[in-house]
Amino acid sequence: MLSRVAENLYWFGRYVQRAENTARLINVNANLMLDLPRRMTLGWGTLIEIVGSTARFKSLYDHATEENVVRYLMTDERNPASIRSSLHTAREILRTVRDTMPRETWERVNDVYFYVLERGDHSLARAPRQAFLQQAVSGTLLIYGVLTSNMSRDVGFQFLRIGTNIEQADMTTRILDVRTYSLLGIQPGADLSPFESIQWMSVLRSLTAYEMYRRHARVRVNGAGVLRFLLQNREFPRSVMFCLSTIFSTLPALPGNRKIERAIERTRALVRDANLDVLLSAEGQLPELMDEIQIGLVELHGALAETYFSSNT
Amino acid sequence: MAFDWSEYRCNGLHDEMFIAPDVPRPSARALLAYLRGMSAKDLADRRLAAELAIKVMGITFTVYSEGKNVDRAWPFDLLPRVISKTEWERTERGLKQRANALNQFIQDLYGDQKIIKDKIVPAEVLADSVNFRPQCVGVKPKAGIWAHICGSDLVRDADGTLYVLEDNLRVPSGVSYMLENRAVTKRVWPEIFETTTILPVDDYPAQLYDTLAALSPRPGDSPNVVLLTPGIYNSAYFEHAYLAQQMGIELVEGTDLFVDNDDCVYMRTIYGPKRVDVIYRRIDDLFIDPEAFRADSILGCKGLMRAWIRGNVGLANAPGAGVADDKVIYAFVPKMIKYYLGEDAILPNVPSYLCMIDTQRDYVLANLDKLVVKPANESGGYGMMIGPRASAGERAKFAELIQQNPRNYMAQPTLNLSTGPTITDDGIEPRHLDLRPFILSRSESTYVTTGGLTRVALVKGSLVVNSSQGGGSKDTWVVDLDEDEPAPVIKTKAQLLVPGQSQTQSKSAALHGAKANR
Repeated sequence: MLSRVAENLYWFGRYVQRAENTARLINVNANLMLDLPRRMTLGWGTLIEIVGSTARFKSLYDHATEENVVRYLMTDERNPASIRSSLHTAREILRTVRDTMPRETWERVNDVYFYVLERGDHSLARAPRQAFLQQAVSGTLLIYGVLTSNMSRDVGFQFLRIGTNIEQADMTTRILDVRTYSLLGIQPGADLSPFESIQWMSVLRSLTAYEMYRRHARVRVNGAGVLRFLLQNREFPRSVMFCLSTIFSTLPALPGNRKIERAIERTRALVRDANLDVLLSAEGQLPELMDEIQIGLVELHGALAETYFSSNT
Repeated sequence: MAFDWSEYRCNGLHDEMFIAPDVPRPSARALLAYLRGMSAKDLADRRLAAELAIKVMGITFTVYSEGKNVDRAWPFDLLPRVISKTEWERTERGLKQRANALNQFIQDLYGDQKIIKDKIVPAEVLADSVNFRPQCVGVKPKAGIWAHICGSDLVRDADGTLYVLEDNLRVPSGVSYMLENRAVTKRVWPEIFETTTILPVDDYPAQLYDTLAALSPRPGDSPNVVLLTPGIYNSAYFEHAYLAQQMGIELVEGTDLFVDNDDCVYMRTIYGPKRVDVIYRRIDDLFIDPEAFRADSILGCKGLMRAWIRGNVGLANAPGAGVADDKVIYAFVPKMIKYYLGEDAILPNVPSYLCMIDTQRDYVLANLDKLVVKPANESGGYGMMIGPRASAGERAKFAELIQQNPRNYMAQPTLNLSTGPTITDDGIEPRHLDLRPFILSRSESTYVTTGGLTRVALVKGSLVVNSSQGGGSKDTWVVDLDEDEPAPVIKTKAQLLVPGQSQTQSKSAALHGAKANR
């Protein structure tokens, strides 16, 4: 496996995952908006915070209105992480590594990319948007479907998995970071509390975790339970712990990787040892944990780049 | 409403499907019977389906325009070009003969130069060749083969003669489109394959792999073969990726490779350096090694020539093979065949006038309005002049160019290229076409693609078939009529096969039904 190809596969995985997550995020937020009373200020700007793009967004738009945020995240070419840009980048990368994947992958990427390209700008309004985003999500799922059922479990596949999982761990922590921040301010007994569980449910929904959570927890949706599930659960594929463990499981198939192993172990310990009840009650503790996990993911990326992607001479 | 084929006119040219208005050639009879049953709407639907398939399959070519690279959908015409197996067998023999002579010629040029000493090819042709590489003198690649992959362009004149127009020996491209055209046709029009026995084309990647693997300097079961591409901005990048994938070999760029102190080539992998045995290079000679050729090239790999000359890596095509890919040297190919093989050329050359020879130059200058003038070393249809269509100003310009540099120009009569029915916005009309088969030369055998890539000039009346200049392509069928005897059966079959009632469909419907009942 060429170093350049390994790096491209890793980024391909990340960008497809990013497109999928962004599509889900918009849809869930739209649903949440419908359930909340008008006077609640929690708005579309949160999504920009989640994807960590506040500065760029502000340079392009005056207000974080629904229309602006949706356009920015769905079809704006100037946002490198919009659904359209992510799929475009994924497609450009795939062009250089097509020979490593089953041919159908290319076809499925073209399907969803052209769909987003052609329909995106006509699908910004509420009514057509939901169907559009669902179609985009299905499109990305088909890509995984082809890869999962048709691609040999060679080293290339491992780099894809590492990419998708590091991206998912990143997105899960971002959602928890921003969403819990806005939720923490709600005191029990305040008149917004009926909506608290709706909001925690939306956190679950943006990670398609609602049903799996219910099966797992079997209690009323509450903050600590949701956090525990999305951070520490070992069975749900979008939990941070699951993603880190998946990355860890690819390592035996790859050459010399002590540094990567250590980076994963450190972050896993951080996630595993977190006492969520305590963190939730103390102000500022949870965002700090999320920051530390994010730093752990950055270190993991650095270790991967140094071990596999940089040119060896 | 079906298209009225009796309206189709060949305008006195040779048409690949018709002998005369409404009289199909035997090889196309079954196909036409099927087409007659199709309504205009059916045809339009299939055309749309083909466009969609090409888009989804991502079959593209890259054009550089307005300062950026644009990826365009591959232009494809749904109506296949049909060739009879009998004609093809003869053509195939001619192509093998030609490739064999060309390889002997290249080996001779970089060796003893007997053909020049014997005055068959004039010395000045070689002296002024821009593709002669002095670095290759004295090298003898495995089995003396330099041009492992050759793409020869064939055209047919009004009288039906098939001529060789040129031989591409540097980095010929187009074979992936030949394969994809067939894949698209199968996908959107499976019924059409039941009309006739069509010889398959998909063996090419396997044949190419065998050709390349045989060049490995290290004996062993699985040599490390790679395809070296200039990168995604190259117009043929689609093909590079496609072939690498079909052969299951690595697609590498110059920066992925390096030559170590042992003069062996390595690629950078996640496991560290890995030795490379054979490189199918799709980069022009001058760019493959900044140490040996252009120092400013960032596409190639430093030291590659050193490694090749030492015999540590196989290169296809060999550097310097392009010396025979010269439109002046082309004119000598029939003489080469006689000289090296003692045979007459099976496939004729288009009559050619070399401007370096005084009498021929005088003829060219006096007949610029009738001739096509070509520079010796351009490809892609650039830098040429089609006399009958050129303005007086253009002709004057070319007269001057020829006198300044006679060695660099040759001229040929303007051929009335044959036509084939093509779907246009105004119905089905004749369009000019050519054919590029690919020839793989190996020590033990020579392989020729079944048919090749048919390129068609989509613009009415145009003779330019290059995709960079408005050309499209067609699936090419080599049809085995013997297999289809007795003839009456075909007719019944064809009638059965009007869209919506195909045998395959009903057969598969029955199968599904059976399964569901279980």
